[in-house]
Amino acid sequence: MTGIQLWFADFCDMFYTCFIEEDRYKLLISGIGVTIKVSLLAVIIGILIGMLIALCNLSRNKLLRAVGGVYTDVIRGTPSVTQLLIIYFVIFASVDLDKWIIAAIAFGVNSGAYVSEIIRGGILSVDRGQTEAGRSLGLNAFQTMTRIVIPQAVKNIFPALCNEFIVLIKETAIVGYVGLMDIQKAGDFIKSATFKAFMPLVGTAVIYYVLIKILTLTLRRVENHLRKSDVR
Amino acid sequence: MIKVKNLHKKFNDLTVLNGIDEHISQGEVVVIIGPSGSGKSTFLRCLNLLEDVTEGEIYVDDELINTPKVNINVVRQKMGMVFQQFNLFPHLTIMNNITLAPVLLKKMTKEEAVRKGQELLSRVNLAEKADAYPAQLSGGQKQRVAIARALAMNPEIMLFDEPTSALDPEMVGEVLDVMKDLAESGMTMVIVTHEMRFAREVASRVLFIDQGIVMESGTPEEVFNHPKNERTKLFLSKVL
Repeated sequence: MTGIQLWFADFCDMFYTCFIEEDRYKLLISGIGVTIKVSLLAVIIGILIGMLIALCNLSRNKLLRAVGGVYTDVIRGTPSVTQLLIIYFVIFASVDLDKWIIAAIAFGVNSGAYVSEIIRGGILSVDRGQTEAGRSLGLNAFQTMTRIVIPQAVKNIFPALCNEFIVLIKETAIVGYVGLMDIQKAGDFIKSATFKAFMPLVGTAVIYYVLIKILTLTLRRVENHLRKSDVR
Repeated sequence: MIKVKNLHKKFNDLTVLNGIDEHISQGEVVVIIGPSGSGKSTFLRCLNLLEDVTEGEIYVDDELINTPKVNINVVRQKMGMVFQQFNLFPHLTIMNNITLAPVLLKKMTKEEAVRKGQELLSRVNLAEKADAYPAQLSGGQKQRVAIARALAMNPEIMLFDEPTSALDPEMVGEVLDVMKDLAESGMTMVIVTHEMRFAREVASRVLFIDQGIVMESGTPEEVFNHPKNERTKLFLSKVL
């Protein structure tokens, strides 16, 4: 047998051991489910917190601005693993919630700080004249914000938000720390079970890559749709 | 309709309005002229409190409006405003620009607002643009839409803040024509502009503002042909 054939036979063998034997692929598939579940809920929580904190930061009220400032400052100043562990083992220690929900809250809390800065920048990027036009028609500050400023801000910040979601998905690869079996943890588990590093770890990387590729392509379509009022 | 008493406006240390007393009655078309930096736009923007007032009182329909007790949003529904930079909402179609406020503020149902919108767009000769987005319109067209948008709220008063200053010269006429029609229909209007010929033709009264006070006020004939104030004379000698 030639070298390439040998290598190929070896590769197939490894593939079989790592993914097929003992139905190990099922671990990865349920891992994908966990990653998606945690990421999706975290994105939603992140956007909600982000909007809230952005409005705090933009508020005229000094106390609200201080709250927003401290939040962003603390979250950005500490590692997300530390935040995850604190939220899981300290804050939610005695709360009976599904693990994945607590993890999603932790990532949402983390993401919220970054999202708030993106949203704040987006709101400031909308011309003041837009607010004045809305208010001059008799809309109140809230209506002007939700109907006029935020829709335009969303379009401006959409690429930055997409980037944040992608970072968030990859960030969830640390949920193994609180005992959740996501893609990363599943790959890691297969590695320890089979004593093979290459196949499970590269497999993990490929799965993340494909997931994020699908997401990127989908979000780009959404963005093109958002830009339809730009036609000239 | 609008009464202004002893109006002062300061931006930090800079005094922009230095005691303005003015009374604008129903059906008047008041055109405000003056050199740049004279405070004329600030004066206009104080009338619907887009600028907060440092000192003095503003009454609309005999109601004091610069007090926290008044819901300014309700007062503003009576006062349409047109801006130099149009400020159309770029994410909405022309029709939705017009119907947003009346529907949101429950002045009309969606159907009524659309009907009214079509009527107003015909009035400003843009009926076929209802489904376009602002980015697809020329400056003159945008400003005419902005006028239609303000009129959709059935305002009692229309404020114009240099409506033609951001337009290419060949588009000024179409906007002024719409404003002239509006004036002839009896709308109460306050207009800040540099278009002296328009002021002369359309104004029922001309105010000359300089250094934050009303230097001269009178019919176009009085102000343009027989100015009494030295500053008015100087200003007119430069612009006419």
